[in-house]
This record gives sequence, structure tokens and C-alpha cells, in this order.
Amino acid sequence: MRGVIRALAVPVWRTLPWRTLGAAGAVGLLIPGLPRLSGAEPAGWVTLLLLRAAALVLGLGLAFLLDDPARPGTTPVPTGRAVRTALRVALVAPLAAVWWTAVLLLVPGAHRPPTGDVTLEAGAACALALALAGLAVRHSEDPHPGRPAATALLAAALFAPLLLPDDWPLFVPAGDPRWDTAHDHWAWLLAAAGTIWLLTLHEPLRRLFRRRSPRPRRSG
Amino acid sequence: MTTTVSASGLTLRFGGTRALDDVSLRLGRGVTGLLGPNGAGKTTLLRVLATAVPADRGAFTVLGHDPATARGRQELRRNLGYLPQTPGFHPDFTPFEFVDYVAILKELTDRAARHREVRRVLAETDLDDVRGRRIKKLSGGMRQRVALAAALVGDPGFLVLDEPTVGLDPEQRMRFREVIARAGEDRTVLLSTHQTEDVAMLCNRVLVMAGGRIRFAGTPAELTARAAGRVWSSSGRDPGAKAGWRTGTGAFRNVGDPPPGADLLEPTLEDGYLLTLDGELAEVTA
Amino acid sequence: MTAPVREKEAQAALAAPGTPRAAVLALALFEARRLLRRLPVLLALVGYTTWLVWHNVQPWDEFPVLQDADRATQGGPLFVALAALLCANQAVLRSRRRDTERHFEVLALSRGQRTAAHALSVVPLALLVAVGVVAQFTWEAVKPGAIGHGSPAELLVGPLTVLLFGALGVLLARLVPSAVAAPLLVVVFFLMFVGAAFPFAGETGTAWLAPVVGTASKYPFPSGLLGRPAAWHALYLAGLALTAVLLSGSRGRRVQAAVAAALAVTVLGGAAQTRDVPEATAAARQRASLTPEKEQTCLRRGTSEYCAFPEWAPRTADWERVVRGVQSLAGGPAQGQRLLVRQRLEARYGLDVDSALPPATTPGQVTVGTAWGGNRVPEFSTAVAAVLVAGDEKAAAGVCDGRMVTVMWLSLAWQDDPEAQLRHVRLDDSLSGEAIVLSPTDPLTMTAGQTEVVRALLERPLPSVVGRVKAHWAELTSPKITTARAAELLGVHAKVGPDRCEA
Repeated sequence: MRGVIRALAVPVWRTLPWRTLGAAGAVGLLIPGLPRLSGAEPAGWVTLLLLRAAALVLGLGLAFLLDDPARPGTTPVPTGRAVRTALRVALVAPLAAVWWTAVLLLVPGAHRPPTGDVTLEAGAACALALALAGLAVRHSEDPHPGRPAATALLAAALFAPLLLPDDWPLFVPAGDPRWDTAHDHWAWLLAAAGTIWLLTLHEPLRRLFRRRSPRPRRSG
Repeated sequence: MTTTVSASGLTLRFGGTRALDDVSLRLGRGVTGLLGPNGAGKTTLLRVLATAVPADRGAFTVLGHDPATARGRQELRRNLGYLPQTPGFHPDFTPFEFVDYVAILKELTDRAARHREVRRVLAETDLDDVRGRRIKKLSGGMRQRVALAAALVGDPGFLVLDEPTVGLDPEQRMRFREVIARAGEDRTVLLSTHQTEDVAMLCNRVLVMAGGRIRFAGTPAELTARAAGRVWSSSGRDPGAKAGWRTGTGAFRNVGDPPPGADLLEPTLEDGYLLTLDGELAEVTA
Repeated sequence: MTAPVREKEAQAALAAPGTPRAAVLALALFEARRLLRRLPVLLALVGYTTWLVWHNVQPWDEFPVLQDADRATQGGPLFVALAALLCANQAVLRSRRRDTERHFEVLALSRGQRTAAHALSVVPLALLVAVGVVAQFTWEAVKPGAIGHGSPAELLVGPLTVLLFGALGVLLARLVPSAVAAPLLVVVFFLMFVGAAFPFAGETGTAWLAPVVGTASKYPFPSGLLGRPAAWHALYLAGLALTAVLLSGSRGRRVQAAVAAALAVTVLGGAAQTRDVPEATAAARQRASLTPEKEQTCLRRGTSEYCAFPEWAPRTADWERVVRGVQSLAGGPAQGQRLLVRQRLEARYGLDVDSALPPATTPGQVTVGTAWGGNRVPEFSTAVAAVLVAGDEKAAAGVCDGRMVTVMWLSLAWQDDPEAQLRHVRLDDSLSGEAIVLSPTDPLTMTAGQTEVVRALLERPLPSVVGRVKAHWAELTSPKITTARAAELLGVHAKVGPDRCEA
């Protein structure tokens, strides 16, 4: 299997949806970058909003990570979905980390919210994107699961702040007394999304709600 | 016939429709043709046998491997070549790169040996000249051959080909038949098609599907024989014909129940197929 | 099997092709049905409806000012507009994703006409939003306490935003045929237009380039003073939407001419709306701030006179109710004193500037603001009481002695749940200790002792306190009285500490 992974690294690297990831990366850098370039000094709460938007944009890009036009032919191969998907994530993860560092550095240090906590939020957004893409792969045969995954992620991100109950804080401003509680929730979210993503890597041997198969009958 | 693939009771529902309804079959070495109208369940059957989708009920084995277990499925996939109905490509890859990519996915890790194998299947599918050109610049027929090459790479014992000759010109189709026939000499090939000529020329066995069920299983000669005495020529449209059309000579060629003393013609595989389907469709609608 | 096929063929033969325009409309209807069934759109509509209900049942907004209520309809549709952008974009990209574009390219309906149909498919969604906008505004307008005038142009902004965003989604699909583009644009738009990260702010100028421009005024203003270029803005939005649609369509000569025309409309609307406040409006603001008496209509109700900007004339009845309540508790000449209640505002420095009103120096004149309902009622009541006790607002603001007890008791005792009103009228919402007490002009100050005495009075039966107040009115309203003395006169035994004047 190690040999397969080594041999696959380059072709899989080439099959990644670079244009989509690049577009998301560029927009994500512009979000904190434009205020920086224009010399504006955004307030603390605006900075947090910009960072959260950048994280969401990264997530939207990653939602398209599992898009693979060759999927119909490359599904029934001995190298399973788990290896193929994990390889994609592993290839893009270092770049995403470097990109996120750049985004953080674009924000003036004085107004930067706690780096670790915001990174946790970004990680949860990415894990959620991957989980949604994984679910889309598992529940459809569309070679482009990114579109529904991105739509779901976007809807979740825009509606969650409105719909979440007050006693389960998630999107809290920096300096809010509930900041730590909210970041416990982010950690839970990251763990849940990560678990779901891991579960989607498994290729089921039978469909859900499949009934017991009867004794095979002989027929010509 | 040594059975290499056997299935029993395969059933698969999509929503309320039964795409596969209690399908049982046995395949041996050689090329088996799978005929049937659109929506008959051909593609679904091939996808189930290729382990692209699990069945709701039933079981099957391929070359002794049972895909109901993870290990069995893995072994099956190691012996599988699959050409899907709508193959997808990475448009920026060259045919060589794409087939090489699929070869790696089939666990061919020794680089030199793999490249030799890729060159072999590209030569076999007549893609030598274009193997360095990007797939997005290739014609539809060439892309279809790239998909066939990807299915053939690794010398799998079981080849599942879903309408491989669609969109090919007659010459390309001829080349395709050559490749498939060669592959069928020592492997099991299941070939779904709308072309009765493909079946007549290539296959040593034929299955006819309709409404998610197997309606006929036998040799092409047996399918043709179903129409013996049921094809006739007449000067006008015959009311007893299930199907009839004016041929180039001006006479009508009728398939169905001939009137007494009709001018009987030599049946073809297509006549047998049409009559098989006609009876089955009547049964389905009844 | 064959019979239904023949039947269908017969039907197809009967359905003769219609005109291209009818075809575009039919396609638009088809796409509209699909659009309205998309999950993001449904979610946004549910969210919008929830927002409408939540926004409209706010119990404290019993006295809406309609020239502000019209603007309040604009924020909610933004979510629907973002969903329209996303889904219209995905609808255009659908034929590309499913690889039907090659087929559709050669059909009778051209690419431009299909684009037009996609843009038109947003219209029913915009109409739904228009229904929501009208419902929201009507709900406000039929409230008995509603005053002022709404502007149709302001009401148009919500539906126009939906149309504009839908058109931008279509345009984006034609410019960048990628599935990630629309979600990214939605994030950017959300940041700018919902998340308030729009780079331009202010009452005038480039802030008007955003689709929804809410002037952050703390108080309502007469519609004549708003100076919002609402009509130009609506024109700008419509022109922008039209330009987006035309740009994403075909490249024919007629279309190019139409693009030029739409662009001209957009630029015209865009330029006109970003101008400064018109001179006439600035002059009107000056007059309304400095010499309101020249702009107002005055009504005599009971013994007092009420002068309001014409749009507020119906509200004088509410003011009179407060004046009557306070005066009924007062004693001496204050009972029948002729007050002049004058509405005042400060609009000279822009409507988004929170400028305080200076207290009036005319004896017997009480200032009332433009907002009403909620805390504004006890605040006005306090001002009335303070003028009755101290003579004028300027003097009332300086009250630091025992008169404060009388002022606050007069202000509160006639109201329902006076303790709650006391809490509301105090800046820190407290019920004990020293606190600032709000009024329409300069605030007053209560010491801890005064608070305690007032609360003790409010707990007693009203008639007994009224009797004592009326009996000792002259002394209670004398500037020389201390809080301790006032407490004694009113029969409250409490340690009150020194007054602010004494300290």
C-alpha cells in the first residue's frame, strides 16, 4: 500500500481541483488583505469577522476537494476510497496551513483575536467541509460532490448564527465572557465533523436498510 | 463451460423502481453480450458486478471472490477491468498519464513494469500515436479507447464493458471488436450494448434483459433460432407482424406471426432479440 | 406500450411553437418553479418569514414612524437575495454541469434568451419578498400609534435587491463558469452588506453604492428632513440589475444599445444618489433645529398647548395624557399651569449624529422628542414634572435638592407599574443608589436617599400621598427644601444623607 501511495502522490496532486482551490485561496487572502492594503485599521470585531469569512472561504474551496471527473471509472479499484481521499487531504493540508498562516499575518497584530482559538474555528470549518463532501460522495454517484457540499456549508455558516440557541454560543465576539465556552463547542464541532468525515471514508459492503439475502438459488 | 462469474437473486431498488429484479446468471470465459432496451437494468447489473454499487439482495462471486466481504471485494477489484457507461477523465492528463494513474490505483507499483503494461494496452487500443496528447484534445472515439485501455490495464480476469462501442465510427468499432475478442480468449468479458451486430460478431453467449430481469440466456445462435419461421417477406404491411418495415428492395420485412404460406426469410439475431423482447414486454404490461 | 407513444406524438404535433417571447416566459416560469423549490431559497424564505414575525411583534414598537418603518423592510430580504444569487447561478451552470450546453446551444431559444429566462425566474421570488415588505409595512402603518409617511422607493429596495442579486448570479455564471464562484461571492457580499464590512460609511456619498443603506439615526426625523435619495437609489438598483442581465446575455447590436442605456440609468442613479444632502433639505434641517416654531402646528388641549411637526400632530393626544396625569397629582398653581409642549430635534450635523438637545429656558415650556413609546414616555413625564416643579427645563436640570423627590414622584406615580418606569428612566436601570435620570433634554440626578424616598412613596396608597403633596406643595417645590425635609413632609422615615447641593 505504501508503494501505491508513493506512486499516486503525483497523479493525485494533478487531479486536485486547483482552479477552485486557487480561487478560494485568492478570495480568502483578499478578505483580510484589502483592508490591510487600503491602510484601514479594522476594529477588533471586524478583524474577527474577516478571519471567520476567510476560514469559511477556505472551507468552501475544500468542499470541492473530492471532485473527480474520473470517478465513474476509478471507483471499483483495489485502492479504496479511504486511501484516495486521505491522500487528497494530505496533499492539500500543508498548503492550507501555510495559507492560513498568511491570512493570520495579514491581520494587524494588535487587533488579532486569539490565534489558537481562531485556528480552531478554521479547522472546524475545514473539517465540516470535508465531512459534507464525504457525505455527498457517499450518498451520490456524482463525480462533482463539491457543489452540494459547498452549498450546505454556506447555508450552515450563514444561518447558524441566527438559529443557534443563546445557551449554545458559537459565534461570539472576542472578549466575550462566553469565548471559552464557545471554543469548547468549536472543538466538539471539529471532533464531530472529523468523525463523520472518517466514517464517510468507509465504502459500505451493502446499502443501508438492505434486507437479508435469501439462499442463493441455482439457475442457468 | 467453466463458471467464472455466478450471481443469484440480485435485486436492487432505486426508490420505487426495481432496477434489478431477482437476477441470476452464470458466465464463463469468452465474451458475453448483454442486450436490452434502455432502462432494462443493464448498466445497473454491470455496476453491481463491478462492485460500484452493492445490491440490496442476492449474492455473486467473480473468479471465486465474494464481494460480500471486504477481502473478497478487494480481491475481485484486483481482477476487474471496468469501462463505465460515461467514463470521466482528467482533461489535462495524456492518455499515458491517465492509464498509468489507473494502473497505480490497480496497485501496479513497480514503475518500469507498470509503464511497460501501460504501453502494451495503449498499443492494443491503438493509442500509440496520441499517447502524449492531452485527453481534452482527443476525439470522442479516442477517449472511449482511453477508457478501454484503462479497463484493460493490469490484465484483469473479468472485464465489464458498458456500451463501449457507442459513438465509434465503423472502422473504430471493428478495431474495438478485435481488442475485445482477443481479451475474451482467456478472460471473462461482459459487454453491454445496443448493437446486435456486436453480439453476433463477438459473443459466444448472450443475455437479454428487460424490466430488471434476465429474459434470455443462451448462445447467439439460440437467440436467432427464436425467430426461425417468424420472419417473412410481403408486398405490403402485414397485420400479423409485431414489427415490419419496407426494405430497400421495396418489399416489407415482417417479424411476428406469419400468415399461412408466407414467404419466410432467414432470421437474424436482431429478429430473435425483437421477438424475445416483444413477448416479454407483453408480459410486463399484462 | 405503443398507444401512449402515439398519443404523445399527436399532442406534440398539436403544440405548435409559440413566439420567442412566449418561449422565454415559459422557460422563466419553469426555472422559477425550480428556483423556489431549491433548499437554500426555501431556507432563506423561512428565515425571512421568521424575521418578519419576530421583527413585527416587538411589543415596544407601538408608535412607529413610517418614514423609518419603510427603511426597516430592507435588511430582511438580503438573505433571500443571497440565496437568489447562489441558486440562479447554479441554475445557469446546471446545463454546463450536466453537459447539456452543447445541445442547448443549437436549440431555437438562443443563449441570450435562456439567460433572460434565468434572470426573469428570480421575479416570482422578488414578488414574494415584495409581499413580505408590504405586509411588514402595512402591519406598522395600521397600528393606532403610527405617524408619518412611507416612501414607495424605500419599499422597493428589498425586492430590487433580490432581483439585482439574482441577476448578478446569472452574470457571474456567464463570466466565471465555476461552481465555487457564487459561494465565494455570497461570502463577500455577506461580509459587506450584512456583516457591515462595507468600506464606505456615512449618511451620504459612496455609502449609497451598497444595496441597502440604513441611516443610523437614533431618533426619527420628519420625512422632509431625511434627504435620502431613495428614488435615485431604486433607479440605481434597477439599472444595475438590468445591466447585469444584459451583460450576461447575447452580444447583438440591440443588446449592446440596451446595455449602454441600462448603464446610463445606473450611472445616473448612482451619481445622483451619492451627492451631498440637497441644499433645500439642509436648509429645512437648519430651520427645524433652530426655529421649530415656524415649522410646527400647535394645538390647544386642556390648559396646555402642544406644538408638533405636522406629521406628529396625531401624537399630541398621547402627550396630553402624560401632562394630564402629572398635573392631576400636582398641587398649587401647577395643577392648572399652562404648559407649552414643544417638539424639538437637532438635525444640523447630520441625521446619524447623536446630538443632545439643550434644555429650553422659556418658563413652562417642555421639550418632547420625535420618538415615542417605551422609555420615551417616563422620560417625557419626568420633564413635565420637572418643569412644573422647577419652572423651566434649564432650572430643572440643575435641581439638586429635595425637589427631586417631588419631581420623580409626580413623574411616576400616575403611571402603571411606577417602579418599572423608575427603572426604565434611570440610565443604569437600577432601583437603588445614585443614578442619572433621563429626560428629552439634559438629564437629572437622583441621590441614593431620594431614590429610597421615592420608592417608599410609590409603595404607599396613591390618595394618601396625593393629599400630602397637595397640602405641602409650596414647600415641596421651594428650592430651599432638603430631601430629609421632603421625606418628613411626605411622612417617609428614612436616612436620606446629604443632598448634592449640600455636599
